[in-house]
Parts: sequence; C-alpha cells; structure tokens
Amino acid sequence: MDKIDIRDSLSKLVFDNQGLFIMAEPSINSRSQVSSGPNMRVKFYAGVAIENSQRVQLCLWIQDTKLRKFTQRDLTILKDLANWIGYVFSTSTKITSRDAQKLIGVQKELSVKNRQLAEANARRKAMLENIGDGVVGINDKGEIIYINLAICNLTGWSHEELIGKPFLHTFILETEDGKEVDVVNRPIRNAMYNNQKVESNKYYLRRKNGSRFAVSVTATPVSLFEQIIGGVTVTRDITREREIDKMKTEFISLASHQLRTPLSSMKWFSEMLLDGDAGQISDEQKDIVESIYVSNERMIQLVNTLLNISRIESGRIIIDPKPTDLGKLVKEVVDGLKNRVEEKKQVVNFHIPEPLPTINIDPELIRHVYMNLLTNALKYSGEGGKIDIQITKSGNEIISKIHDNGMGIPADEQDKVFSKFFRGKNVVKVETDGSGLGLYLVYTIVQSSGGKIWFESEEGKGTEFTFVLPLAGTKPKQGEVRVS
Amino acid sequence: MEDDQLLLKAIIKKLQTEKIDVVAAASVNEAVSKLTQGKKPDAIWLDYYLGDKSGIDFMHILKKNSNWSDIPVVVVSNSASEVKKREMFELGVNYYLLKSENKIEQIIETIRKAVSNDIAN
Repeated sequence: MDKIDIRDSLSKLVFDNQGLFIMAEPSINSRSQVSSGPNMRVKFYAGVAIENSQRVQLCLWIQDTKLRKFTQRDLTILKDLANWIGYVFSTSTKITSRDAQKLIGVQKELSVKNRQLAEANARRKAMLENIGDGVVGINDKGEIIYINLAICNLTGWSHEELIGKPFLHTFILETEDGKEVDVVNRPIRNAMYNNQKVESNKYYLRRKNGSRFAVSVTATPVSLFEQIIGGVTVTRDITREREIDKMKTEFISLASHQLRTPLSSMKWFSEMLLDGDAGQISDEQKDIVESIYVSNERMIQLVNTLLNISRIESGRIIIDPKPTDLGKLVKEVVDGLKNRVEEKKQVVNFHIPEPLPTINIDPELIRHVYMNLLTNALKYSGEGGKIDIQITKSGNEIISKIHDNGMGIPADEQDKVFSKFFRGKNVVKVETDGSGLGLYLVYTIVQSSGGKIWFESEEGKGTEFTFVLPLAGTKPKQGEVRVS
Repeated sequence: MEDDQLLLKAIIKKLQTEKIDVVAAASVNEAVSKLTQGKKPDAIWLDYYLGDKSGIDFMHILKKNSNWSDIPVVVVSNSASEVKKREMFELGVNYYLLKSENKIEQIIETIRKAVSNDIAN
C-alpha cells in the first residue's frame, strides 16, 4: 500500500472535525461532502478519533466505495470500539516504532540463540557419541532409550538391536568365574532403587558374540521433580588397567625380593660379627658394627613400610576381621614397647573403663595403628614424658585416644600430617629417624576399616590422636598380602 | 638352598659356627643332584626364588620322592605374599620365615625345632 499523506486522507477530516466525520446516507452529523477529495472513489466513510494517553493521532474508520446507511447504533458501536482501542493502546506498553524495532531485534536474538542452542546440543550429542566410554540411558521401565557409538563398538550390537530393548536382559554382567550377576547386584538396578550413584569394577560384560571383557561401570539414577525417571550407565573397558595392576603386583613382589636380599645379607653378616662368630671384637668395633646393624634395620623397616603402602594402594591388603578386644590389643602393643618406655623413663597410663565390647576388626591392621601412634608418642616426648591411652565406647563407635605431652605439631603443618613422607620441621631437627610414612599408613588403615582419624596438637605442649572404629566392624576383604 | 651368593655365604658360615653340617645349593637342579648323591639331610632351608625354578617347584619334586618327602622344610624367603605362603604350607612345609625380619640365630633355632619335632614324630 502506498504511503498516504494524512493531509490527503479522509482521516484528517476526523481530526479537523473534533474527532468525528461521517459521510453516509442518510447521515447524522454528516457535514457536507468533501468537495475536493483525495479519493473520490470513497462514497461512504465513518471515522472517529481514538482518544489515548500517548497523544498519538489515532483514528478508527470504516469506508466503502458504495454509499451506505450509518445509524446511531452503528456510531455507538464505532465509538465503543474506538474507546476500547484507546484504552488498550494507553495501558499497554508503548508500541512505538522504536519498540517495534526492539521487538524485531529480540526476535532476531531469539533465533540466533535458538541456533546456538541447537548447535550446542548437536555438539554435546557429538561429544557423547564420540567418547570412548559406553553410555546407555534407560527409562523407568528399564528399556534402553539412549546409546552412544562406544557401547555399540564395545559390545558388537548395532543401534537398532539395542534401542527399546530391556537393559538388564540385553547387557549381561558376569563375575570372575563366569556366573551371571543377578538383578539385585546389578549397578543400575541399585542406583535407581536407592537413588544414588553406584560404581563397580569387578565384573565382566558379555559381548554379542559371547566373549567378555573386564569393565568398570558407573550407574546413576536420573530424576525429574523428585521422581526417578530412568538411569544412565557409563561403561569402560578396563582390560588394560587390570593388566597394569597385575604388572604392579609382579613388580612389588620382585622389588620386595630384590630390595630385601642385600638388606638381609647385611643384617646377618653384622649379626655374625656381633655374635663373635668371626672372633672376639673390641668395644670400639662392636660400636661401629652395631651402628651398621641399626642403620640396616631402619632400611628394612622403610622397605616394609613402602611395600605396605604399595600394597594398600593397589588394594592387595587382606582385611581379616576377627572379634577383637581393643583394650587387650593396645596393652599388648605397649608391652612390646616396654624397653623404649623405660629407656626414657616415660609413663604410659591406661584409661579403659570396663567392659569394652569386642568388635570385628582386623587385629593385625589395628595393632599397626596403635604401634605407630604409640611409637610416635614415645619418640616425640622427652624424658619422663607421660602418655595417656583412653578407649571408650560411644554410641555405635569405639573411640581410642592417645595423648602425649611432647613436642607437638606446628600449626602451619597440621594439614599435611597424614600425607606421605611428611615430617614436621620441629621433629626432624631432634630426631632424624623417621620415614614420614607411618601416619599415612595409619590413615589408610583406619579409612579402610571404616573409621576416622584426627588429632589436636600444640607445639611445645603435646598431641592427642583420636581414631574411631565402627562397632559394626569392618567388612572382610580378600587380598593377597598382610601388612607386615 | 639360596640363590644369592652373599646370603648363601652367610648361611654356610653361621651354620658351620653352630656346628651344623651344611650342603649348599643355589638352584633347584643343584639341590636335587646333591640330594640324590649325598646323605639324607635332617632339614632343608629353602628359599623361594631359586634361579629359573622356584621353591614351589622344588617342593613338588621333594614330595614326589618317598625318600625325601618326610624331611622337615623351613622356608626362608623375602616374599610375604599370603598366596605363596598358603601354597607352601599346602605342600607340607613346616615353617615360613621372612629373611629380613629374623635374626639368623632365630632361623637356626626354628630349624632345630623342626628337626626335633621330626625326631619326636
């Protein structure tokens, strides 16, 4: 439509005539015809100005090329319509041309954003498709609704062969000895049932062709508005990791032998000298050989600790829980340390209110914990130092506290205490013997036993280590070696 | 039986000091030939790693031979693996000691114990 200059339009007449202009037959309020007319084809016209708060010249008109009647009722309707339009126009947000531009701008932005979203989705999908791990999504009925390329490659099934199929019956997990894992032990089933992530790395997954491979599975429930609507499993082929683990085990075995052989040799030859098997030795010679012997023993202990740590880290430690009386256990440990205690004229006090319930923990592992904490307490306390041991039951835990009034741990180092190879600055100056591995091992043992360990310490005043073990005990763990 | 030369030297020397007759072997083959040719020993000090055969292999050989199967065996090794230990005990060894944790005197004491138990039986 061509732009019409208002000066040429009939609408102008509306504004010239106090907001109303009618050209009809018979007309009310009709002024004379437009003598010169912009558009003589218009034979009928009824226009009314629209009042509005924006002070925009708005006009509502109807026109026709034929002459028409226009009644009072028609006028009322026209005026009502005009009022209504005026009201809507006034109360809604200003729709100015600038706003229209903005709206168009917003629309453009939206379409850009939509495209970006679509791109992001496509990218995400492409990434999911291409990650090395198999990803499978299932709905709340256990049917497969999403799979990525990797799971097809890992198992040999095609996309069509998997979508819509029941997950638990399509993907079969087996144990080491080939038995099928039943539903109650399937990670995805437990993840969805308990609404929490489940990880497992001890099963094998069967391929389409019947062969199997070791997998690590992470199953997560998917919920929406607090309803479990499905689950996702991520499956990884860990054949290589298992191989590496085996190599590590072999290496530990070999290193154990290779490192210990010369150490044993030195130990025995030194012993023979000290025993006089090669003839009587002078006091001075004895002194020197003893130093060699002690150094060597330290080395042997270090190798033991390193190997224990290696074993724990590779998961090879056996946890063999037996009903154990912790009070008795700690007393045995202190008994074994009697010489050291007497040497520095230290005192060990027991605060064990009877009776302590026996708990199912691995006595060898916990013995190690007490041994380490007590040795530290003795080592880092001076002459005449006092060590307090307290074991109590509290709720469903047994709490062991070992307190000394020795040199303490500097505040700025307290957060490193359980890390490997850490030794406090203040301690190294006084006592060079110590590998810094003991507490790391203790920490790992307590954690593996289902407990917690922490401490409080003030430099120059003393230290108190506390560890708790659950009354419920530790689960047995099949491993290959014991802590020695 | 011990494959490390230095350790073998220490063992021989100590045993001789204790007035115990020693027949030394650094490998399974050597041990078998010495057993075949010589007098039956009162006890066997057995290491785990013995060159290309292991102490386990030796135990299999020992137990198959009716002349030798009753000789008390004390395994003195540096490997603490529970699996190895169990295997050894299943094959009938009497004691399993770790080299680096035992004074040589303690090992000899254990051997004497093994021998006297054997005599008692």
